[in-house]
Amino acid sequence: MNAAQSWIVVADDAAATGLVEVARTLGTEVVAVVAGRRAVAEAVAGVVDRVLWLGEPGTAPVEAFAPDVARLVAEAAPRAVVGATTPGGRALLGAVGAALRSPVLAGVERVELAGDDVVVTRSVLGGISQHRTAVAGGPAVLAVDAGAAVAVSDTAAAVEEVAATPLPAQVVEVRPTTVAGVDLGAARVVVGVGRGLKAREDVALISGLAGALGGEVACSRPLAEGVDWLPKDRYIGISGQRVSPELYVAVGISGQLQHMVGVREAKVIVAVNSDKAAPVFAQCDYGIVGDLYQVVPALTAALGGTA
Amino acid sequence: MKIVVAYKWAPNPQDADVAADGSVDLGRAKWAVSEYDPVALELARQLADATGGEVIGLTVGAAGIDTPLARKAALSRGLDRLVLVADDALDGADGTRVAAVLAAAVRGIGDVDVVLAGDSSVDVAAGQVALTLAGTLGWLGLAAVSAVRVADAGTAGLVVERELPAGTAVVSVPTPVVLAATADAVVPRVAGMKDILAAAKKPVEVLSLAELSVAEPGAVLTTLATAKPGGAERTARIFDGSDAAAAATELVGALRQSGAL
Repeated sequence: MNAAQSWIVVADDAAATGLVEVARTLGTEVVAVVAGRRAVAEAVAGVVDRVLWLGEPGTAPVEAFAPDVARLVAEAAPRAVVGATTPGGRALLGAVGAALRSPVLAGVERVELAGDDVVVTRSVLGGISQHRTAVAGGPAVLAVDAGAAVAVSDTAAAVEEVAATPLPAQVVEVRPTTVAGVDLGAARVVVGVGRGLKAREDVALISGLAGALGGEVACSRPLAEGVDWLPKDRYIGISGQRVSPELYVAVGISGQLQHMVGVREAKVIVAVNSDKAAPVFAQCDYGIVGDLYQVVPALTAALGGTA
Repeated sequence: MKIVVAYKWAPNPQDADVAADGSVDLGRAKWAVSEYDPVALELARQLADATGGEVIGLTVGAAGIDTPLARKAALSRGLDRLVLVADDALDGADGTRVAAVLAAAVRGIGDVDVVLAGDSSVDVAAGQVALTLAGTLGWLGLAAVSAVRVADAGTAGLVVERELPAGTAVVSVPTPVVLAATADAVVPRVAGMKDILAAAKKPVEVLSLAELSVAEPGAVLTTLATAKPGGAERTARIFDGSDAAAAATELVGALRQSGAL
């Protein structure tokens, strides 16, 4: 194993800051293998020590280069291989993991070195627990959040073109997305509602509060998948969305871990619940113990909205 | 066309109890065909019906995944037959090892054109196994697949649609190929009484792990510590809502003061 090196695998996306950061922690020399356009390879060359580029992909999807990426990584046997959690990133990492017979670790929160072993702190089981895991005997293969686009740099490594034999597949058309779904991730304020709500028509109460706050309505799992009062793309929790708004208001939500992992990164959390012993009150910044049917209209009114 | 659906019989962490030290008790968790896998099963059935093909279910895991209930749950969702690898040596196996066992079973089934899988499992939720399976087999692996059909007459392979950030990509792919579906690619059928009764008569083949040729792991994981996920420490300021209007005014005041509004 080449312990001084860590590699990043790039799937046609210059958003690789997160990959480089993790790779720098784990190796003194960072080598990138880039599947995708030359422009991506050149951008990445500004922030790593060496770039291997697999040539212009033409109409081939980035996944077609997975065997080439895996071959190059396996030959080098670096201490760590880092890729993105995007569909393309996971395809490249899958081939790498298979070639090295090494698990691909996801949910990565922190990495460190303990001697020659890579130690990874990661969230597991959808975020309900956190493990510190040592990887020994072989390279650590890590799937991490890609992060922002790499910064433009004046001093760049040379882009070395490597011959590739992509699998035969062709992108024949790309239709830009036109359907606008709700983007909870971009909302500054999110109001989540749970089982405390008694009837479907009462969702209007919550919409009123969200409107007064200039925010979006979300819900806990039972309202999206149990009774179907709200669409699934508004469900927050371990198998739903994770959001990090400035303000999250949990209305009629008890505060089970499975829901709260989805709002952990919110800056301020407000809870409204009639049960003063509800776990949500131990996980919020402000709380009102009271009947949501009284409190929500009062809040909407206090904010200057129409209850 | 021979289609394999790689699915998982898994516990739902929604019902897990997490102790203060982060240890997870799945004792109360309900086991089922993993959340998004029925979508893959439905896509496979529709593709097979369009081509006169066969759909084979494939799952691997600890001995406990092979129960009459688990067999029926999968077989009642449009499968023609089922292949299982159930061995306690696979209890808690990492995704790369699971993919290696799936790959060995796919090779054993033979002449497979397509492997379909769900977006991600309900428990591990990494969306990685299907793509590592593709890597193990040396096949093309595509995630985020929202539709799949056979190519037009005169052309080989399949046409798949993928939901990617840039939009919907239409990709012409040769077989064999591994496809991981989006969570809402199709609406899966609900198994009726007839499907459940028919499931009991469908063939099930149990492969022994020892007889499959699966490479030894190249890296070893050791769990050093577990913890309950932290997040920011929050100290709640609680208002009494018995006078809702007063509590609302106080809260809005506090939020304005702190800059949250």
